[in-house]
Amino acid sequence: MSTKEQRERIELLQGTLDLLILRTLLRGPVHGHAIAKAIEFNSDEVLQVEQGSLYPALHRLIKRGWISVEEGTSENNRRAKFYKLTAKGRRQLAVETGKWDKLAGAIARILRPAEQEGES
Amino acid sequence: MSRRKHILENLDQDIREHIEAETQDNIARGMSPEDAHYAAVKKFGNVTRVKEETREVWISVWLEQLVQDVRFALRTLRKNPGFALTAIFTLALGIAANVIVFGVLQALVLRSLDVPHPERVMTLEPTNKDRGIFFAYPEVRDVRDMNSVFAAVAADAVRNFGLEANGTTRNIWGYEVSGQYFEVFGIRPLLGRLLEPADDDHPGASEVAVLSWPAWNSLFNADPDIVGKNVRVNKHTYTIVGVTPRGFYGTEKFLQPDIFVPMQNEAELEGIDWLESRKDGYVLSVVRLKDGVTLAQANGDLKTIVARVIRQNPKEEQTLSVKLAQPGLMGDFMGAPVRAFLIAVMALAGIVLLAACANLGSLFAARTADRAKEIAIRLAIGSSRWRILRQIISEAFVISILASACACEFAWIALTNLSNWRGRAPVVFAVQPQPSLLLASFVIAIFAGTIFGIMPLRQIFKADPNDVIKGGSGQSSAGRRWALRDVLLAAQIALCCITVTAAFVALRGLHKSLNADIGFKPQNAVVTKFDLSLAGYSKDSAEHFQRQLLERAAQLPGVEAVGYANTTPLGMDASTEVFFSREVTDLRRTNEAFVAPFFCVSPGYFNAAGTPLLEGRDVNFTDSAKAPAVAVVNREFARQMFHTEHAVGQYFKNQLGDLVQVVGIVADGKYLFVNEQLQPAAFLPIAQRPDTGTALVIRSQADAFTVAAASRQLVHDLDPAVPFEDSGAWSGQLSLQILPAQAATVALGIFGAFGLLLSITGTFGLASYTVSKRLRELGIRVALGAQAKQILSTALGRMLVLLGSGALVGIVLGLAASRLLSYVVYGASAHDPFVLAAVIATMMITGILSVAGPVRRALHIDPAKLLREQ
Repeated sequence: MSTKEQRERIELLQGTLDLLILRTLLRGPVHGHAIAKAIEFNSDEVLQVEQGSLYPALHRLIKRGWISVEEGTSENNRRAKFYKLTAKGRRQLAVETGKWDKLAGAIARILRPAEQEGES
Repeated sequence: MSRRKHILENLDQDIREHIEAETQDNIARGMSPEDAHYAAVKKFGNVTRVKEETREVWISVWLEQLVQDVRFALRTLRKNPGFALTAIFTLALGIAANVIVFGVLQALVLRSLDVPHPERVMTLEPTNKDRGIFFAYPEVRDVRDMNSVFAAVAADAVRNFGLEANGTTRNIWGYEVSGQYFEVFGIRPLLGRLLEPADDDHPGASEVAVLSWPAWNSLFNADPDIVGKNVRVNKHTYTIVGVTPRGFYGTEKFLQPDIFVPMQNEAELEGIDWLESRKDGYVLSVVRLKDGVTLAQANGDLKTIVARVIRQNPKEEQTLSVKLAQPGLMGDFMGAPVRAFLIAVMALAGIVLLAACANLGSLFAARTADRAKEIAIRLAIGSSRWRILRQIISEAFVISILASACACEFAWIALTNLSNWRGRAPVVFAVQPQPSLLLASFVIAIFAGTIFGIMPLRQIFKADPNDVIKGGSGQSSAGRRWALRDVLLAAQIALCCITVTAAFVALRGLHKSLNADIGFKPQNAVVTKFDLSLAGYSKDSAEHFQRQLLERAAQLPGVEAVGYANTTPLGMDASTEVFFSREVTDLRRTNEAFVAPFFCVSPGYFNAAGTPLLEGRDVNFTDSAKAPAVAVVNREFARQMFHTEHAVGQYFKNQLGDLVQVVGIVADGKYLFVNEQLQPAAFLPIAQRPDTGTALVIRSQADAFTVAAASRQLVHDLDPAVPFEDSGAWSGQLSLQILPAQAATVALGIFGAFGLLLSITGTFGLASYTVSKRLRELGIRVALGAQAKQILSTALGRMLVLLGSGALVGIVLGLAASRLLSYVVYGASAHDPFVLAAVIATMMITGILSVAGPVRRALHIDPAKLLREQ
């Protein structure tokens, strides 16, 4: 599975997937496939998750109590599991987003010091 | 749990739906349905791994996989019953050896007494080895009266008693104990009461006795009304006042006492009064430390006491020294050699186990090599290497646990038999298997399983799926490189060689101790032993009895020679005494010439025993108490005392300071132990040193059983109340002396046989594996005209190198290890050419036997048939 196409994509950092899932769920309950699609779509297809890895991550989040599951029907009228952000997950998302912003800002400042100064 | 189950239940469906949704999207983007599905699956990734990882979020999947692995392992083993049985049996032998040795070690060394706070019960022991292991009674009494660290101090002495009860006289074993004896142990009686200080206040204070549980059970049929009944002990009436609890057996692990009597009555029981004598040791001592007193404090207090005792009795106590020792095996006297032997045997058992592991390890490595293709495929489709390794290790564990179950069974049988074995009373091996052995066996099994389970580790982690699948069978490399299994085989042969060498060394030792020059000829001689004091005789009345017996025994038909002594050499109960040269006037122990065993013999004893008289004359009945003191000594005595072998007519002094003249010299022999060094010994005329102990020696060509029966009848006719200690062929009575050598030989012989078995299966396995792997290559060689010799060297040349080098290393190690053995086994020598030759021959025969099959196969290759088949 080492096609050229895949190599040009960016691999996700450890733990980032959790953050992306939480962010996606902020808009309301979504089922598994839709989460994967949303992540790809919103990142202009740059972030392409090996879709399978979504499931261990989802279950990890359930176990931590950040998201919950409910039964529902999908667009094509099938029964599907919908994943929903819990209050705890919402707080966690805020914390994680804050952390991420700090990290991204710090890395950006290291990599492009001149541009940063120019902008501000 | 239920939430987890609910969520996981639909995981398969979730994934299916996910892929379905993706497929639909792809179709919407304009792909053909097939491409769409393929792309969706590809995008999803490894479904199985996703499932596993998801489950892993909830539990450590470990457990689940473990169950799977175990099931898989059981299935694999069922498919290969031959392999499974061989592996289980091999390992079971290895584990059983260890469990049995551990069981004995636990029973004899590790297990503590079955009394409250056993860690506070200790024995006293002389620091100075020359003093032997016994104390004089006043010494123990001094410790009891002067100490401030012990809650109780008691003396005990193991003695033979004649017990008359229910109309029969039996020779039993018991303890004479001083007043605080049972306080030391703090046990409660099963029935009645135990002996108390008041019972032991002065000689004759009370004539009461306590029975041990086994004696109460077997001699009195567990009579519930036993308390208050009278028995006769050495013809004196004693009242049974109690029975000890079941688990109590005194302190000595090899002894099973029947009765406990007050020590103050020893004079009436034994016929000699030693209670006030500081000259000779007769008693052992047990103490209980006070709560909170440390060993160092107690030893310190003992030192002070010893100094005081020496100050008060400078003449007798000059060499006194006391320390605390662990109870159980006569302190460190027997404890040290027993422990050393057990540790040596434990090491050998460990070697057998390691050899079994090496054996199984190479089997596993070979199996893994055969499964290289399967493993490569599994790696290629995404299995993790760890998972594959785990599966193989699970297989190893399943084998080891099954083996450990078999091993427990073996060990149980062996230990139960050993502890039911009754040698000459009162020797017992209290080695009943304990439940903790199950745990030991399990731990050993896990250890072994880990060792041979990880052997294929490198193979799995080095395996490159591409290579293996491209390279076809991977056969081409099988014969070229030195593989781990080759090294394992050599290691295994080396280990087996050690056990085989040890077995031969022990065998040789036994052979030597059977044929050692012991200074007398037990063949065709019958010994009947009894102690007349047990029937109430004094030393003087005993002499009359003995003289009468001698006269009558000489009349027996077929008797060649007859004589008697107080006891026989190697009889386990010989005494030693101090001897001085004639110039010494101050009879301090520091001025002694040596301490030597002595025997009191009648005229004719040397003839009957077959001890050659080298010079001078035998003792005779005119050497009476009124005549000048004389002695016959052995050659070593003459050499050490007079620096000449011709010492007839010379004088030495006995421990009382009396001058004794040497009238005869006899050949050297063994007196106390078969494995002792050459040592001096003296034979004194029994008329000058009367003794109630009697060992009648009859030399006769007639059947030993008949002669023994006739001699017992003679004794019975003289006095039916005399209990026999022993009566039978002399060589049979010596068996206890060679018991250590025998035990060692049996134990080591079994290990040697294990070792051989393992090396045969190991070599055979690898040789046939090598040949079958390279069958095709060999076929081509034969087709191209290779000769038998060339075929053999290609096919098995390396095997021979391995065998040779392994055996060489093993023999060298084995000989080194045998040096240790020689401390235990008499006559064992590491430099014995016989042992070396035997080991080499055995290993060669083993090698030939185990490669014969594969060699035949290699030589009978029919290239045409073989190449057609492939």
